Formats: sequence, C-alpha cells, structure tokens
Amino acid sequence: MSPQSAVRTRPISVAIVDDEPSVRISLRRLCSAFGLTVTTYASGQEFLDALERDGNRPDCLLLDAHMPGMTGLEIQSHLGARGVRFPTVLFTADDTPEVQARYLSSGVAEYLRKPVHGEELLAAIERAVDRQKRGG
Amino acid sequence: MPSILAAPRGRVSSGAAEPQARTIPLESGLLVFALIALFGNEVGALFRYPAIGSAVLFPPYAVLAAALLICSRRDWPWYILVAAAAHFVTHWPQWGLSWVLLADVANIARALTAALLLGWLFRGPPRLDSIGPLLWFVVVAALVAPAVGATLGAANVVLHGASPTYWRPWGAWFLSNALTGLTLLPALLLTFTSVVEGRREELVPGRVIEAVLLAAALTLTCVVAFALSDTGQFHPALPLYAPLPVLIWSALRFGPGGASVALTAVAFAAIWSADRGYGPFLSWSTDDSVLTLQLFVVLTAIPVLCIAAVGSARRNAINLYRTLLASLHDHVAILDSRGMVLETNDSWRRFAEPGEDAFHGTRAGDNYLERCAAAALRGDLVALRVLAGTTGVLARVDRRFETEYDYDHDGRQDHYLLSVEALERSAGGAVVRRANVTGRHQAQVEIEEQRRELSHLARVAVLGQLSGALAHELNQPLASILANAEAARRLLGREPADLEEVGAILDDIVTEDQRAARVIQRLRALLKRGETRLQSVDAGELLSESLELAHAELITRGVTATAVVEPNLPPLVVDRVQLQQVLLNLILNACEAMSGTPEPGRKLVLSVRAEATSDVRISVRDNGTGIPPALVDRLFEPFVTTKPEGLGLGLSISRTIVAAHGGRLWAENNPGGGATVHCLLVSRTSGIEQ
Repeated sequence: MSPQSAVRTRPISVAIVDDEPSVRISLRRLCSAFGLTVTTYASGQEFLDALERDGNRPDCLLLDAHMPGMTGLEIQSHLGARGVRFPTVLFTADDTPEVQARYLSSGVAEYLRKPVHGEELLAAIERAVDRQKRGG
Repeated sequence: MPSILAAPRGRVSSGAAEPQARTIPLESGLLVFALIALFGNEVGALFRYPAIGSAVLFPPYAVLAAALLICSRRDWPWYILVAAAAHFVTHWPQWGLSWVLLADVANIARALTAALLLGWLFRGPPRLDSIGPLLWFVVVAALVAPAVGATLGAANVVLHGASPTYWRPWGAWFLSNALTGLTLLPALLLTFTSVVEGRREELVPGRVIEAVLLAAALTLTCVVAFALSDTGQFHPALPLYAPLPVLIWSALRFGPGGASVALTAVAFAAIWSADRGYGPFLSWSTDDSVLTLQLFVVLTAIPVLCIAAVGSARRNAINLYRTLLASLHDHVAILDSRGMVLETNDSWRRFAEPGEDAFHGTRAGDNYLERCAAAALRGDLVALRVLAGTTGVLARVDRRFETEYDYDHDGRQDHYLLSVEALERSAGGAVVRRANVTGRHQAQVEIEEQRRELSHLARVAVLGQLSGALAHELNQPLASILANAEAARRLLGREPADLEEVGAILDDIVTEDQRAARVIQRLRALLKRGETRLQSVDAGELLSESLELAHAELITRGVTATAVVEPNLPPLVVDRVQLQQVLLNLILNACEAMSGTPEPGRKLVLSVRAEATSDVRISVRDNGTGIPPALVDRLFEPFVTTKPEGLGLGLSISRTIVAAHGGRLWAENNPGGGATVHCLLVSRTSGIEQ
C-alpha cells in the first residue's frame, strides 16, 4: 500500500499534534519517509490557531491523547464545536472499552499505542482517510 | 500468755535490710528482763552516793528503756511492772514506801519518755550508725528523758526532806541518767536488738584477737587514767586522755555497739577508782568529784559515739557500694585520675579471664590507659577510641564518653556498649561500664531493617500510583526511537540516500535511548532496597527530578505544576532516593487533594528557598480542599489519612525520613484555600559519601 496510489492525485497531508518534541520530530520524519505531507504542532491550541489563521486543512490528524493544556479529546470537541471534522488517529495508552467508546463517539477514527510501527501508522492513516471519504 | 517479746514496730531510718525478728515468749523475755533489772538496780544502789542523793550511773534507766524500745507496746505494762518491782525489792524497806514508789514513778516516766520519743523518731529500735540518728538519740536519751526523770526525782528528794534545794538533786539525777543514756543504753539497746532480730556476728579469729587486744589496751589506759596516784610529774588532767585513742579505736573498728561498751567500761572504771580513792576525781568534795566524773564521761562519750556513727555510716556506704557493684550485670571498673584500676566488680573480673586481649583483660592494679594503648598499638581501633575517650574524661575535658563495638567472646560475637563517666570527687577518676547490649542492638538492627522495609514498600506503593505515568514516560522515548529508526531505514532505501538526515536521526535515537535509560535508572533506584546513602544533592535538581517522574501523572490529572527555585542554594547532604520518595509523595498527595478542583484551576507550586544560613525549605503548595482542621496536627501520624482508600502511612514515613535527615516536615492550610507542606532540611557539608 502506498499513499501515492493510483486513486490519489496528491500525497496525504497529516497534521501531528504532540507536546513531546522528540516524538513530534520522529513522527514527522517517519511520515515524510512514507511520502506524506506533514505539519507539526506542539499543542492543540497551536493547531486550532493555525487552522483558524491559515485555513490549511490536513487530510488526517495525528493526536497525542496525553498532553498538558488541551488533551486529544478536548481538541476533538473544540473542532466539533466549530463544525470541523478530520479523520483522526489518536495515540493513547488507555485502551479500555469504555475509553475506546468515548474516543470513537468523539469522532476518532483510529487509535494506536506508542511506540507504533511505521506500516501500522500508515495503515491507520489510510483507513481513517478512506473512512472519511466513504462517509462523505 | 501468747504474747511475744519481739517485733519491732516499723523500719529504722537508716542501715541495711532488716533480718527477720525472732519470736521470744513474753514469759522468757520478762524473766531475763527481771534478772537484768535486779542486777541493774543492785549496781545502781552500789553507785549511789547519799551526798548527791542519786547514783553516779543508774543502769535501771537503760535496762527499761532498751526493753521498751524492742518489745511490743502491748507488753509494755508487763515490763514496766517488773521494772518497778525490781526497783522496789532492791530499795524497800531501806527506803520509805512513798520514797520508793515515787522514785518508781520518776524512773518509769524517764524510760517511757525515752521509749516513746525514740520509737516515734525511729519507727522502731534506734540505729546509731549514722550521725543524724545518733544526734537525735543523744538529744532524747541524754537530754530530754533524763530531764523528765530529774524533774520528778528531784521533787521526790525534796518532798522527803533529803535536800534543802531542788536544783542540786535535779542536777545529780540529770547527769546520772545522761551518763547512763550515753554509755549503757546504747550498749544494751544494740545487744537486745541483735538478740531479737536474730543477728549473730560471725566470730572471725582476727576480730576476736582485736577485741581482746582492745580490751587489754582499755584496761591499761583506764589504770593509767583512773587508778594511778598522782606522782606530780604530769598535769593531773593528762592521764585522762589515755583511754581516748582506745575509745576511738573501738568506735572505728566496732561501731556504736563497741564504742558504747568501751564507754561503759570507762565509766565503771572511773567510778570504781574514785570510789576506792584513786584517780583524778578526788581533789574536790564528793559532790564536785562525782559531777566532774560524770561530765568527763558524758563529754567523752558524745564525740566517741559520733565517730562510731560516722565510721558505721562509712562502712555501710562501702558495703552498699560493694553490694551494688557485685549485683551489677554490667562490667564495672573504677579508675583513678591516672587511669589505674582501683576496683572492679565480679562481672568485670569474670570477663577479664586470661587469654582476653590487653584491653578486655584489664584487672585491678593495671593501668587502663596503658592497656588500651597496648591494644591500640596492635591495631585495635576500638581500644584506640576508648583510649582517646577515657583520656578526655580523666582530664575532665568531657563528662562522659560512650562507644559501641562488636567483640568476639566465648566463640560468639557480641555487641558491647562501653561508657566512661567522670567521678564526682576532688581526686578525679572515672567509672568504666561495659554492657553486653547484643539483644538491644539486634532489636535495633531489626527495627531499622523493618523501617527500611516499610519505607521501601511505601516507595513501591508510590511508584504503583505512578505506574501509568511512568509507562508513558518510558513510551515517549521508545516511540521516538522506533519512529526514527523506521524513518532512517526508508531513507537509506532511497537513491541517493539522505545521509545527513540519517545522521541526525541516529543522534536523536542515541539521545532518546539515554532518556529512556534515565527513566529506568530512576525507577530502579526507587525500587531498590538499600542502605541509606548520603550524598551532596542540589535541592533544585532534586525537585526537577521528582517533577519529571511525576510529569505524566500531572498531565493526566490536569495539574499545572510550577517550580520556583531560588538561585545559589546551599547543597543538601541527603539520601537522594529517600528525599525523592518524600517529594513524590507530597506531589501525589497534592494532586489527590486537587481532584475536586475544576480544571484548569489545579495549580501545584513547588518552591525551594534558603531559610537560614544552613537550612533549605522545600514547599509543596496546592489549591485543593485543604486539610480538615481536626487533622492538621495529626496528619503525620501513622494511619491518619484524608483519602478514602489511603492507608495513612505515606506522610508518616515521609516525616520519619525527613527526621532521620535532621529535618522537619509540617503542613498548614493556605489562607486562600488549599494546603502547603513544608520540608525543612539542614544543609551539611560533612558525611558525604562519594
């Protein structure tokens, strides 16, 4: 599977939101190596501000669930409040059924546990994007 | 009659433990008493001088007073009756009936006064083995009771027209009884008490020989003093001093009993000699002669009895101290100011068997300092320590020195506590005490081990609370490493490979690996059981390390933490792991307290500041629910908790840890809500373990 598949005319763009610089940078490198277009943000607020300011809408959002200030789920609810919905892949350590249900109901398409393999990440991104497309 | 002659009514005011009183039937007691009383009256009659209207020395006073003092009070009427009868049969019909009966009244009043007052003062038969009781005895037996007897006796004399004046017979009666009270009464009293209490002096040949020699010397000196005619070569008063050294000898070696017997003998010798026209008491009229003789014996008796009492008190004190020393399980040695061993107790002697090293084998007569020095020269560090400590105490630089050490004895290793205490006396010296405290030491080691174990468990519990957060802390570098590695692999598969980027990736992998290793290292340190390890630590660093460990937990709980660290803090000498445990505990408690505070208002402020020149205060402040007022003072007690599922051990253990570092941990509610826990630590520069 490749992001430059026949059906796609441009590479998938992803926005990574993670407070941890090392994780942010390494995920950017990984996604770039897979041919994705990547923008990174250190916090949910930074992402929301950029979204409002520039209007650049990524194809997929990679969110860390565990962040100071605004958590992954809080970003989702902020986006929901603005009527915006992105295919979202959430990194979380908490994968109990209750939490999963909460994630899914808030619009999270995929959730992964760190550390994550590149192929696994790419597959999750593609599934999320495809589901969004199918959905609408 | 079932009555007994016995049973002193109470305890004496001084002296050793009471032997069991013997039960003597009243009949036997009265019979013996009657014989002694009759003999006493005969002697009294012999010593009676019509010129003074009284006896020079009147034994019946001593006999009755001594009997009353040792017998039961319910038997007193019998003894008084027998005493009166003995007096009566001795003097009637030579004296008129009224004279004899009134004299009986005076005699009984005198003896009763002595017995009542002495019984009340001593709560039993008087003991004359220390100076205080002796002086009370003198006041009662030689002053008050004779005065009572003299008052009644002189009245009797005047009533029957035997004297034109009252005070002349009063003086004669008084001195006669004072003399009896100071000589015969102590001798009889001590003899009766010994018989009733069943005390029996062991006849040691040395003592018997000494007693015989003393008797011979007393006889000789009495002859010199009272029997030789005045040759005109010496002043007539000079020979009177001859018995004095012998009396002092009797007092010092045979106590109040021996002294009173010797004084009685001197009194008898003086009276007998004077009666036969010998000695120094013949130069005046009969009246004056008797008065002088009585005053001489009375004034000699008081200091001699005092010497006997002081000697007895000293002997008792020595016996007590030796008994005490012997009863001590600890090994005790007494040193003089030069370190010579003056005395050791049995425990010390038993321990100092041949074969013990120089230091432990010290015996009486050895120099303790020299023995310590000899052992120290052979490399015994304990002996070196004891040498330094003992020298300090003997030089009066220190009041006390104490050390503990292990020593192999009888094939097992024991733990000893050795203390050296300065002796409170002008000549100086010290007491060395060695106690086998193996049991206590083991208990302490076990308690310390349990405390460490509990502290470790509490630490593990804290880490259990943090487990999710710690997993996150470890996952972050792992996630970064994996993502970086996979990115590098893909970059290397491209043509041309971006080696510069791959190099940057590898650098980041190394950094993240080190970060993960640091997390694991801290975890290991916190999970490890171990001895306290003091090291120089920067308080700010300690705080940031603890915050790093709690980082993910703070995020999960939505707590914003702020650290305020004052610059140039003095270094702390602490066990890093234990203090981290305390800070983590305080941080988690604060988070818990803020669980009811709405986000994003959960604010944790950690501050470090220098307090005084050597103190550092770390404060953990939250804006949670605060401490219930009833718990503010008890918060650090074990099993006291504000959490529904808390055990209440965290803060208690934290306080123990801080106290073991010489610090203090306390909590207070903030005026604006929430609470602050303060940890005051003393900065030290010594004892750093590298």
